Amino acid sequence: MIMTLLRRELKVARRNWIGLAIPLLFFIIVVSLFPFAVSPDAPVLQQLAPGVIWVAALLSMLLSLEQFYRSDYQDGALEQLLLMSSPTMVAASKILAHWLLTGLPLVILSPLLGVLMQINHGVEHSTHTWVLMLSLVLGTPTLCLLGAVGMSLTLAASRNGLLVSILIIPLYVPVLIFGASTVTASLENMRYNGELAILGAFLLITLVFAPFASGRALKISVG
Amino acid sequence: MAKAWRWFHQLGSPKFLFQKTGQWLPWIWAATLILLVVGLYYSLWASPIEVRQGQKHSVRIMYIHVPSAALSMVAYIAMAIAAIVGLVWKMKVAFAVTRSIAPVGAAMTFLALFTGSVWGKPTWGTWWEWDARMTSELLLLFLYLGFIALHASFSDRSKADKASSILAIVGVINIPIIYFSVKWWNTLHQGYSITEKGALNPAFQTPLFIMLAAMYLLFIALVLMRLRAEIILRNQKSRWVAEWALGTSAKGDKS
Amino acid sequence: MSQTSDIQFNGLYAHELTVSRSEQVLLEDAELHLAPSTITYLHGENGAGKTTLMRCLAGLLPADHGEVYWNKLPITHPESNYFQDLIFLAHSLSMKNELSIAENLSFYASLRTKVSLNKQQLQQQISSVLNELGIGGLEDRMFAELSAGQQHKVALARLMLEPAKIWILDEPFVNLDHKTRGWLSEKALAFKQQGGTVLFTSHHHIEELPIDQSVGVEHE
Repeated sequence: MIMTLLRRELKVARRNWIGLAIPLLFFIIVVSLFPFAVSPDAPVLQQLAPGVIWVAALLSMLLSLEQFYRSDYQDGALEQLLLMSSPTMVAASKILAHWLLTGLPLVILSPLLGVLMQINHGVEHSTHTWVLMLSLVLGTPTLCLLGAVGMSLTLAASRNGLLVSILIIPLYVPVLIFGASTVTASLENMRYNGELAILGAFLLITLVFAPFASGRALKISVG
Repeated sequence: MAKAWRWFHQLGSPKFLFQKTGQWLPWIWAATLILLVVGLYYSLWASPIEVRQGQKHSVRIMYIHVPSAALSMVAYIAMAIAAIVGLVWKMKVAFAVTRSIAPVGAAMTFLALFTGSVWGKPTWGTWWEWDARMTSELLLLFLYLGFIALHASFSDRSKADKASSILAIVGVINIPIIYFSVKWWNTLHQGYSITEKGALNPAFQTPLFIMLAAMYLLFIALVLMRLRAEIILRNQKSRWVAEWALGTSAKGDKS
Repeated sequence: MSQTSDIQFNGLYAHELTVSRSEQVLLEDAELHLAPSTITYLHGENGAGKTTLMRCLAGLLPADHGEVYWNKLPITHPESNYFQDLIFLAHSLSMKNELSIAENLSFYASLRTKVSLNKQQLQQQISSVLNELGIGGLEDRMFAELSAGQQHKVALARLMLEPAKIWILDEPFVNLDHKTRGWLSEKALAFKQQGGTVLFTSHHHIEELPIDQSVGVEHE
């Protein structure tokens, strides 16, 4: 099930790449606004970098949620999937595919944003960039999982778009706190293992309940 | 045990619940009013203030603030429990309960934030501080508003009930996570702490407990009133509602 | 709570079924039996709840009351195998615009069968079914590029590519030319002869397809 669906998602994404590229472009553009608004000074940008990049990543994930279940819901593919497999399985496969198509590119692009925000200012090594990527690797799947729950709840709702943001932004706050502070800790030359471990713990917790909750919500939306 | 089960099932009947709550409500309101009057008298006039310790009259806001903050959390948990009952045992009345709690809980959360803010101005010199508890309360308010918004955006009520119930359950799993994250974040940034040592003084305890009881009762009374309206709305096509509306069925009908 | 032993019918059996949509009760305490080797025609006015009933029988919509059984077991029972035996073709065609015809069809076929299919064999099967339907050679066209009638034919091709014991078809004859109507009727009859159960809705009477049972849903 997972592999078959994954292959299909990748094929669809390849032919509909613009829909996936827009949230990524948004990610870059939002970050590049900050030097204009605040200051192009490297130390200032460096201090803002963790927060700015993480908030931009979070907003970009929110934007890409629109691509999540929506088209499958509208063309009826979702109900066919639910007939052929358990709802939790459908949700889990979709979430994995969605993360590979939105979260992973974000992680890969993040060093570029690190450069824009002068994250390695004043140091010779590139540890900060690696920590940023690591925090996003552990954090974005959690955002994806929670977003899946929000998205599947609002599929059948008449007003959507911004509704899903209102529902899940409060749930995103812990990930944001620990994601940004992982990078901040690294910038301040402090240990960041603890923050990373907590991000990992969040991921495990959401991994347990989010596919199930999203699956139940899909059943309700389709029914 | 068997009796408890029967009672549980009877509560699942909208008609039974409507009649019972109709009988209870006057008593609950009476108790609420008495406790509120006594509690407010104690807390606003009769309780001592230790001016020597630099306390101001603004500390009296705590008598409203603490109960409303406690209720805001309890209400969300109650809403999530009702959501679980509704989803697992397919008890439709439970959904009406979640829908009735949400606005009252949101109001309590708002009250807690508002009183906290009013108290913060003379105490800290600022209306808003990114204190751990205040921040958590703010996020809790967003969770309530999200629940209400989600419920309102479905045209099909049974879908609205089920979807928003799932949201309530997901939210309740997240509340402790949010709370501890915010607390950790807050200590990192070394903000203020509002641990009110004076509140442990026995002279403060009595009025606080009375106010806690009064606010809990007020909450229950408000939720039950909303619940009764919700039951009527949801069962408008049933015969007993028509009979009740026309006054043909006597109060406390035994049938 | 529901007893499983009291249903002694093979095929699909709906017991004391109550279905509602947007708080409007469409069906109350209905009994419905779709035996193996039968074709059932479901008719009724627009908005009477044909689609809702079908979705309920397909297990997509929870019933307010009652239960649907497949070979004496509730359809949600893990041993009933209902969802492996069922093909439900809804109004929406469930095909991806971004995929080609062959990709769309092989996606569902490979989801359905647990054993990994021989890819070439599947492609061959797809080609021959498309040929029968008069859209041969279009395998690699994107689904979005087809006309409405052609798209509908692609959805019908699933019936030939996925093994099943019951078909639930919502308006399968709509948008079809005369020739394809004949093709579908012929396939449905063949399916019936092999012990299959068919339930379908249609606006008009279909002359080509002899029916064994006719069920009406009425507005109150």
